[in-house]
Amino acid sequence: MNWDETLERVRSAAEFCASAGLTRFRIDEENLAIEVRRSARVPAPVAASAAASPNGGAAVLPSTNGSTPHDEHPASVLKAEFVGIVRLSRPSVTPGTVLSEDRELAYVESLGIRNPIRSGGPGRISAVYVSDGEPVGYGQPLFAIEA
Amino acid sequence: MFKKLLIANRGEIAMRVNRAAHELGVETVAIFSEADRTSLHVRNADESFCVGPGPVARSYLNIPNIISAALISGADAIHPGYGFLAENARFAEICADHGLTFVGPAPETIASMGDKATAKAIMSAAGVPTTPGTDILASVGDALAAASDLGYPVMLKATAGGGGKGMRAVRTPEELEHAFATAQAEAEANFKDGRLYMEKLIERPRHVEVQIVGDSFGNVVHVGERDCSVQKPSHQKLVEEAPAPGLSDAVRSKLHEVALSAARAVRYASAGTLEFLVSGTDVYFMEMNTRIQVEHPVTEMLYGVDLVKEQIRVAAGEHLSFRQAALVPRGHAIECRINAEEAAHNFAPAAGTLSDVALPGGFGVRVDSHAYAGLAVPPFYDSLLAKIVTHGSTRDEAIDRMHAALGDTRIAGVNTTVDICRRIMRDPIFRAGGFGIDFLPALAATFASASAVAR
Repeated sequence: MNWDETLERVRSAAEFCASAGLTRFRIDEENLAIEVRRSARVPAPVAASAAASPNGGAAVLPSTNGSTPHDEHPASVLKAEFVGIVRLSRPSVTPGTVLSEDRELAYVESLGIRNPIRSGGPGRISAVYVSDGEPVGYGQPLFAIEA
Repeated sequence: MFKKLLIANRGEIAMRVNRAAHELGVETVAIFSEADRTSLHVRNADESFCVGPGPVARSYLNIPNIISAALISGADAIHPGYGFLAENARFAEICADHGLTFVGPAPETIASMGDKATAKAIMSAAGVPTTPGTDILASVGDALAAASDLGYPVMLKATAGGGGKGMRAVRTPEELEHAFATAQAEAEANFKDGRLYMEKLIERPRHVEVQIVGDSFGNVVHVGERDCSVQKPSHQKLVEEAPAPGLSDAVRSKLHEVALSAARAVRYASAGTLEFLVSGTDVYFMEMNTRIQVEHPVTEMLYGVDLVKEQIRVAAGEHLSFRQAALVPRGHAIECRINAEEAAHNFAPAAGTLSDVALPGGFGVRVDSHAYAGLAVPPFYDSLLAKIVTHGSTRDEAIDRMHAALGDTRIAGVNTTVDICRRIMRDPIFRAGGFGIDFLPALAATFASASAVAR
């Protein structure tokens, strides 16, 4: 993919993010990862990085957790995409944990495949909804993060 | 017997399987989409897993999530119900690969019967009468040549087809080119397989099917026939009954015998159905459905056997619990499918929220339904809301009982097929019995114009 195409992908991801009212949106592909983060107060800041993503399937689509455009720190909820068993990553996070950068919080083990759940950037964990070894279904909330 | 059964379906059939499993002392695991979170089938199961969002491709057809749910819940078997993954040979294989028993026939049987042209060839070789027809047609040119050999009218059919999709009746060579293109496109869109074959069109046939059940020890019985000639213009069934009215004993026994030899030919070890077209004293094999069917309760009411329990038993490696001689039909049974559909508008599906639901009951009335007041009918799925089945000592009694039961049925919030079913129960052609599959399209046309006048 050339740079123009990449920019176009980022632009359409940002537009989608805004139109769907999402605060975070991430696409993981074989040789490209696009992440869009949007604060409700400032125009959508955009980050894109070309990175080898070992598992392209674990896109996480956070939703705004009842946040309004006036929320100081809108929380987004990371949900399970796969039916499987949650394995919390070390060091495990608890409510109040501050993350300085994107990291793996857990993975959902499904049919022997690890599907990583990433924070998507820095933030503060405001809730952990699951415990290590717990079975989860599709769409089940795992973590809430404040930007 | 199994310890725990995952039911890979939704709605009334998931509830039907859940009941059978609980009667057998088997624990159940339900799966559901985000659109079905509040469904009864979820509430009645012992455990449940959300497997995806509303659209079927991401939930009820999401094989990895379904298999994962079965494995982490400790299920040892999966019942597919009907539709969705019920006739997916690859899914049956994947179940086996993960040590899960698929409640159905062997994957090879599903695959060979799922390909209509292959199924026909196998049945023909087993001495089962089939409709004169062709192999896969490579081009419109082939189709034109084949049609002039067979003689018009002919029927184009998708080899991967079902539910009336990818089928076109063609009466003249001029119609054929367009019909070929549209049937191919429809088959490609619905089944990702645009291959077509052609059959001689049997005019005004009756649709009669035979229920069979086999076990893994080579025992196989037939559980009589069902008449499913009341079909929408899309060829989907609306009313089914057993026994088929007005069939001579000779034709009836021929159907039963042919079905048994067909089942033996593929060493069938589950519940299944052979569909036939009947025209006069001629019977033609149409297709074999390698699953439990929507209309199975009609047979259960007539013979007093539980087909779903039997299907689970034989899947668990048990012997058939009844012999042919013990299977005696008693009286007559009819089923009406209550769908969320606009009968006056070519049975277009209707979505909405059920504001009021009152279902019938009483002597000789059975209702299989997942409907309740407040249920949101999602746009993603089959429109079936309830199956009302009546049993009577005679056909007339079963029909009158159905007419009364439909009169007691109240479903508000979406349009349903209750009214047209009630109209059918009072129709002189229906009451006489023995009509062809052209019956309902003709009646539906008058129903539509009557509704237009009433407005």
